[in-house]
Amino acid sequence: MPEFGDHVDPAIFEQILEMDEDETRDFSQPLVFNFFEQTQETFAKMDRALAKQDLKELSALGHFLKGSSATLGFTKIRDSCQVIQQYGNELNMDGTREPSQDVCLKKITEAIKTAKHDTADLEKMMNKFFKNSEQ
Amino acid sequence: MQQPQGPTTPSPPPALPDLGLLFDLTPLPLLIISPAWRITRASSRFLTDWHVSAADCIGQQLLSFIESQLLPPRFAHYGRLTTAIDDAIASRAPRISKPISTKHTVSWTARVVPVFNGDELLSIFLEWTESPASSSEEDLELVKPGVSTDEAFRILVQAVKDYAIFLLDTKGRIASWNDGAELLKGYKRHEIIGKHFSIFYGKEDLEIRKPEMELEICMREGRVEDEGWRYRRDGSRFWANVVITAVYKDGVHVGFGKVTRDLTERKSAESRLIAAYEESEKLKSDFLANMSHEIRTPMHGMLSACTLLLDTPLSDKQRDIVNIMDESGQVLLQVINDILDYSKLSSGTFSIHSDIVGITSIVTSVVRSVQATLSPSVDFELFLAPDLPRSVQGDPLRYRQVLHNLVGNAAKFTAKGSIRVRASVQREDETSYVVLTEVTDTGIGIPEAATASLFTPFTQFEATTTRGTGLGLSIAKSLTELMGGTIGYRPNPERHGSVFWFTTRFDKIKTLEQMQNWKKKLVESDVTTTPIQEDEITNLRRELGLVASRKNLLVVEDNVINQKVILGMLRSIGLKNVVLASNGLDAVKIVRGKPAAYDLVLMDINMPVLDGYEAAKQIREAGVYVPIVAMTAYALKGDRERCLEHGMNDYIPKPVDKNRLIKILGKWLLIMTDYRKTFEERLANLKRQHAASLKETPESDKPGLHPHVQTPDLSATSEPTPQPTPDDEDPLSAASAINAQPDTTEEVNGVPAADIDEPIQNDSGAGLDATVSQGPSPSHEPLEDTPKASNSASLDATGPQVPGLEQEPLEAIPKADSGPKLDMMSTQGPLPSEEPVEAVTKAGSGANPDIMGSQEPLPSKEPLEAVAQLAAKPVEGDTPPWA
Repeated sequence: MPEFGDHVDPAIFEQILEMDEDETRDFSQPLVFNFFEQTQETFAKMDRALAKQDLKELSALGHFLKGSSATLGFTKIRDSCQVIQQYGNELNMDGTREPSQDVCLKKITEAIKTAKHDTADLEKMMNKFFKNSEQ
Repeated sequence: MQQPQGPTTPSPPPALPDLGLLFDLTPLPLLIISPAWRITRASSRFLTDWHVSAADCIGQQLLSFIESQLLPPRFAHYGRLTTAIDDAIASRAPRISKPISTKHTVSWTARVVPVFNGDELLSIFLEWTESPASSSEEDLELVKPGVSTDEAFRILVQAVKDYAIFLLDTKGRIASWNDGAELLKGYKRHEIIGKHFSIFYGKEDLEIRKPEMELEICMREGRVEDEGWRYRRDGSRFWANVVITAVYKDGVHVGFGKVTRDLTERKSAESRLIAAYEESEKLKSDFLANMSHEIRTPMHGMLSACTLLLDTPLSDKQRDIVNIMDESGQVLLQVINDILDYSKLSSGTFSIHSDIVGITSIVTSVVRSVQATLSPSVDFELFLAPDLPRSVQGDPLRYRQVLHNLVGNAAKFTAKGSIRVRASVQREDETSYVVLTEVTDTGIGIPEAATASLFTPFTQFEATTTRGTGLGLSIAKSLTELMGGTIGYRPNPERHGSVFWFTTRFDKIKTLEQMQNWKKKLVESDVTTTPIQEDEITNLRRELGLVASRKNLLVVEDNVINQKVILGMLRSIGLKNVVLASNGLDAVKIVRGKPAAYDLVLMDINMPVLDGYEAAKQIREAGVYVPIVAMTAYALKGDRERCLEHGMNDYIPKPVDKNRLIKILGKWLLIMTDYRKTFEERLANLKRQHAASLKETPESDKPGLHPHVQTPDLSATSEPTPQPTPDDEDPLSAASAINAQPDTTEEVNGVPAADIDEPIQNDSGAGLDATVSQGPSPSHEPLEDTPKASNSASLDATGPQVPGLEQEPLEAIPKADSGPKLDMMSTQGPLPSEEPVEAVTKAGSGANPDIMGSQEPLPSKEPLEAVAQLAAKPVEGDTPPWA
């Protein structure tokens, strides 16, 4: 699936597509769009948690969205979520403790921004992909 | 002293008395010996002084006579005499010998006078003189008591100031007192004489009757030595070394000599040293532990970064370099782990866990993992004694660690030849086994000088082999000892190389219940690590499809996207009876509500309300042993163990890969025995079945029910236990009889199996759910035996390679075994017929060759016998086979 670039792990996403029956995208298409709904809800919650500087909640939300993005093979979003989860736990990416909350919040802010950006890009690609496959 | 001038017996001139008489009466101890050194004459004085008679010496060889007179340890002394005689003869002049000590505690020197007539030696005169006391250092101990010596000693003892030296009478009362005693103990002579010596002892020593005990021991042993606190007159104390000696005079016990030294200074220096040592040891251990943590954290960071880097596009050269970084990092990490283990062991904070241990599976897996690193010119040989218990109680991780260390060493130091690993039961008693594990290699061996320090920390036996920390064997030793065993080395008796061995004490698993609880944990699954073969997956998937309609799953997952995907995957396999829970608490409620309803639980770990670990724990606490498979993104090594610890049975990494899911499902839905059946129940079923089959007249197959013919290899590889019955020629009926065994329940229910098949096989399972959820009663399990007919139809189509795994009929599968996938395990020899489980493993259709030890243990022979006989006697109206 070259059209997704490094946004998507093709092996994983292929497995999702395989669950479609016949030639339709009856399973994968709603699933992917459900996912984008989920991202929007989650980003909103993340923004609220960020405003409250609630690192714990941010970590939980990061883990949550990491789960579904990983399941669909959406690697870029997944990686940003990993960053959010990690710094939400006040840990660096290598697992060492990050003593500064400011650093954590800063990293999370960046990661959310990246994730939103990537999500928007990917959503466009997916729209195009499913549109094409309908034809 | 007279020197005779002539021959020994000259005729006496008239004016002189008889020369012989003169000689005899000379007041000197004299001997005359012939040129052949035979004693010819001895003066009376000699006989008196030497306490001998004329008959004792006259005519005797000089040397044998002297030898008989010597003091026992002084036999060498006669050499002194012969030297003098030889010298005298050679020089034709008198010589004086060195003193010789005789048994009458007297030393004698001889003046040797040779008598020549021309060149002819006529005779030798020996004139003896008692030699002065202590003329040589060897005779010091022979000093005779003399007034002056006694006096000297008395003064000496009295004047010694550094030692308290005094005598006790037989009762322990003080009889003498020297200056040293006065200085040390503070008592004046007149104050202490007559007092009992226990006055110097402290309260605690007096309470245990130490003074009396010391005297008793001293009487028995002759001497006693003690160190302890003694008290002075002013109440102050000092650390004393005390030696008491029993004193005898003429064989009569007259008292005790007591010597006391003040060791207070030495004692306090000692305690300071010990304290300093302990402190430094503790600091060292703490430091090591801290440093290890400090080092490990960035190491993990570095290694993760390496892994990530390796996943990026790299040139070949860059890749090589990163690989080197990665490998070196791994080695370094191992070193650090060793050091951490060592510091934990030496600080005593290491603990051993009690868990189930599958010895054979650990040994095979260690061998397998090391084999990969081995040069091709080294053969691995594995011997597992047939009596090795399948599973025992102990610490599997530590056992593995020790074994891995030894096998790893063998691999490191063996360039060609073989490495042999042997495990056997060394001893067995009511409650435990002692298992001996030996690793024999044909490597470089250990130099003899190094064997003593092999297990000492930080030693490596050769400067050239500086690999690792030198801690491995020391850690192995400590671990072995923690596991109640010993470790050792001996040279390879057959050829160059080493034998390292260790013993481990394992507890026997006491109850079947324990077994039941643990058997799921036993699963050493390679499912998540071995590459999955396509056709294997295809087969498994087809088999799963056959049973899918009556399998009920619970999926616990909080993310709705993940829920949908996992449901989609399960549906694509055919599993449609899936209940969803979105957190751990719901899952626990659902399972407790229907404890026997689910065949498998797929459990997310990180969930709101109640996480997967806790949920699994609560399900187990509720007494439900449904297989639980963790689904988690945690990829760390310990996570799988953590899942198992919390009562889960298996693990699948997220995102869930479909092929892996199929393997996991295959294992838990097809291969593993149903958790709802306990061993006894299944045994009872077998027996009932058996009994029934004996009563009933065997019928031939009902073609309508299973029109297909069984796979030919089933009969071809049938167990060669001939049980001649009319049905022997029909392998199908044999197999089906076994597989029908769970169906005994139908007889109990009074419903013929054939009748049951019909309604269920085309059912999607909704009705089944209702039946099952009535409760965990395993003897009423229509689920077990449902779609046999439909299954067998499909089997027919799939061809002979389908082993047709079903939950229950595992016992039958050995007969369908298609062969040689026993790998190393085959060194156990031919399958003992009482081990159906073993056989099952091998029969595992190639789908699961690695589940050694994961099977239900069957401690009794009976089930197999039952199976064997059942195999020969199909039940009337038997359902089609398992498939």
